[in-house]
Amino acid sequence: METVWYILLLFMIATYLVLDGFDLGIGVLHLFIAKNRSEQKQIIQSIASVWDGNEVWLIAAGGTMMLAFPAFLSSMFSGFYLPLTMVVWLLIFRAISIELPHYLSDSLWVHFWNVMLFVSSGLLIVILGAAMANVFRGVPLDASGSFFEPLWTDFRISQQTGILDWYTILSGITSASILLHHGALWLAAKTEGIVQERARKTAARFWILTAGLTTLTLLASFSIQPQAKASFAAYPWMIVLPLGVLVSLLCSLLFRIKNRNMSAFLSSALFIYLVIFTGAAALFPNILPGLNPEFSLTIYNTSPPPEELTSTLYWWIPGILLVGVYFTIMFRSLPKVISASSDQEH
Amino acid sequence: MIDSILLHRVQFAFTVSYHYLFPQLTMGLALLIFILKSIGLRGNPWADVAARFWLKIFGLTFLMGVVTGIPLEFQFGTNWSQLVKKTGSILGQTLAMEGIFAFFLESTFLYLLIFGEKKLGRTAHWIVSFLLLLGTWLSGYFIICTNAFLQHPVGYRIDEAGVYHLTSIWALLSNPWALKQYLHTMTGSVITGSFTMSAIAAYHLLKGQHLEITRRYLSVAVIVGFLASVIVVVPTGDWEAKQVQKHQPIKFSAMEGHFHTEDGAGLVLIGQPNMEELKIDNPIIIPKALSFLTHDSWDAQVKGLTEYDRELWPDNVELLYFSYHIMAGLGTLFIGLMGLSIFFLWKQKLHTSRTLLWLLMLSLPFPFIANTAGWFTAEIGRQPWLIYGLMKTADGASPNISQGNVMFTLLGFMGLYLFLSVLYFFLATRIISQGPESVEINKPDLVAEAGA
Repeated sequence: METVWYILLLFMIATYLVLDGFDLGIGVLHLFIAKNRSEQKQIIQSIASVWDGNEVWLIAAGGTMMLAFPAFLSSMFSGFYLPLTMVVWLLIFRAISIELPHYLSDSLWVHFWNVMLFVSSGLLIVILGAAMANVFRGVPLDASGSFFEPLWTDFRISQQTGILDWYTILSGITSASILLHHGALWLAAKTEGIVQERARKTAARFWILTAGLTTLTLLASFSIQPQAKASFAAYPWMIVLPLGVLVSLLCSLLFRIKNRNMSAFLSSALFIYLVIFTGAAALFPNILPGLNPEFSLTIYNTSPPPEELTSTLYWWIPGILLVGVYFTIMFRSLPKVISASSDQEH
Repeated sequence: MIDSILLHRVQFAFTVSYHYLFPQLTMGLALLIFILKSIGLRGNPWADVAARFWLKIFGLTFLMGVVTGIPLEFQFGTNWSQLVKKTGSILGQTLAMEGIFAFFLESTFLYLLIFGEKKLGRTAHWIVSFLLLLGTWLSGYFIICTNAFLQHPVGYRIDEAGVYHLTSIWALLSNPWALKQYLHTMTGSVITGSFTMSAIAAYHLLKGQHLEITRRYLSVAVIVGFLASVIVVVPTGDWEAKQVQKHQPIKFSAMEGHFHTEDGAGLVLIGQPNMEELKIDNPIIIPKALSFLTHDSWDAQVKGLTEYDRELWPDNVELLYFSYHIMAGLGTLFIGLMGLSIFFLWKQKLHTSRTLLWLLMLSLPFPFIANTAGWFTAEIGRQPWLIYGLMKTADGASPNISQGNVMFTLLGFMGLYLFLSVLYFFLATRIISQGPESVEINKPDLVAEAGA
């Protein structure tokens, strides 16, 4: 039952990254892809009605994490006190940067918020990757299952690690590249005209970067986390996951070349899901490895008894099916193709 | 060196109090907008115009509620990690339900409600306004359930390691404390919604702007405002006071400023609690009223604060006492003001009486203060407990965060929220000064209104 909830939790986290990932990617890219106000509006229209719903996945994932793995949430959130509080501040800036330009069409006002959107989204896509890399690398857990990490120490992987070291910085840059590629594909799939053309070019550039960085991060991950090697040696079939990562990335390239942009976007989404599941499988059953493996948190020592988890499924499953209905309505209400002329003044 | 528990408490108190300024307005407005859309659906274009105007304010306020709500969810883990470690499998239930059943619903339909009126058509837009009402009020219920577990824990067991386990999700969701608290809280938010609506309407009427639409929706606002002002006292306020008296007698005595056990205890209206001498300075007291209100008998005995171990007293009796008295005092003012407005409405002088319009306009801040003071009463009064009778507040905070780090984030939140306040006031003032756009009121509607 713990494993079932772990998979559900990973599914929610990955869904958050896939959905809010394209909003965040576009939050960075719009500054470079749009050359005038009407293109800018066209780009923002592709995320304006969905970003809030996408972000709710983060809240829902947090709630699910709290009910299924309370000791994990407790340890991780307090240990990552500083970066997570900053994530909250950045999420606030990101949200108001998308919404507040609606209320006033003054050019300085709009320009200010566009730059704020770029800054907050840009920092978020790096921090998200760095945060997950911290979990993968392991943290200095003590016997009570708690730890505290400063923002940085000496940027090396030692016994007193900081949030930022060479490995987590590399992962942060990789996640930025992945989400910029992902966002560019969403734009390519949802827009037309010159914006779509530029989005496709951007996606092509970031595909190369993503392919290189992902391979590098994958190798680095194997070298810094000894458990990864052991896991794959014990369960050789698990190799399909990292292989799937590479195949889905390749698919997004092929589909894009064939001009099937939505399929390319979906391949990129699958790629993100598989990256998350690969990382989790390599650590299984650890959920937060300790630098001292003795104190590692696992899915078993952080969760309530299985019978409680089972009964929670009775409301959780219908709930998530309902969310599926909402998202169908939400994404259907988005125009199939957003053109520069179809934008509406709010 | 400052106590780190105090910093954790101040940060949560600050962020949650600031946050709740916005949802109390949106939950109240959601109901009022739904009422306006329902009136509009029956062929009254003025109501649709008024709803459109209020949706603009609703949208901006809702955004503020969303962005200031996220920090609260995070702070459970970052600042109150021991609470989560012990009770996360229970509190996580209602928090996850809020996300899955309420936030997804709201986020799906919010954009359609605010920007989709033309595209949707009348009936669909009305349905969407109902769904938003449902979403915001559901969200309120799940949060009240979460809080009710801290006030009056039910449906749990504690194992040998001190970890709390859920024994019944239904007990958690139908916590009797939650049901009463919910009705009291939601009525409070309807007061905020209707007072805000009537204050802005009064402003436009005093300025002589948008008269046709404004005087009509002002009537709606004062009728709803009057009903809510009454219901918040009787029965919901009365229920609330009685359940506090029954389950949390120390909080009750402290908030009433009732220090010594007496038969036929008096109700303190005004006065300052003197914690050295344990009495009220400069008191104005209604004799025997406290006994009557709590036990329906003028001579019943009411236990005083000194009856209980001082270790179990809330650590800030003064603030608790004033919070409660400010809430109750403003509540009385609300009934008076809305009662007067209803009387003038009946006499058909509401929109021409300048004195009354001035009063309505100037009352804008009061419901926000009253709601905040009410929550101060509930939360300060629960101290020193985090979970009433079971877990002390000091045992719930994260032990691994240094004072410097909490101070850093507290100051960061203060700066950021100052910035948000400036933006909100700037944009809200702009929307209000633009006002509802004027529309032609056609003949059939005038006839319909005369007949109504």
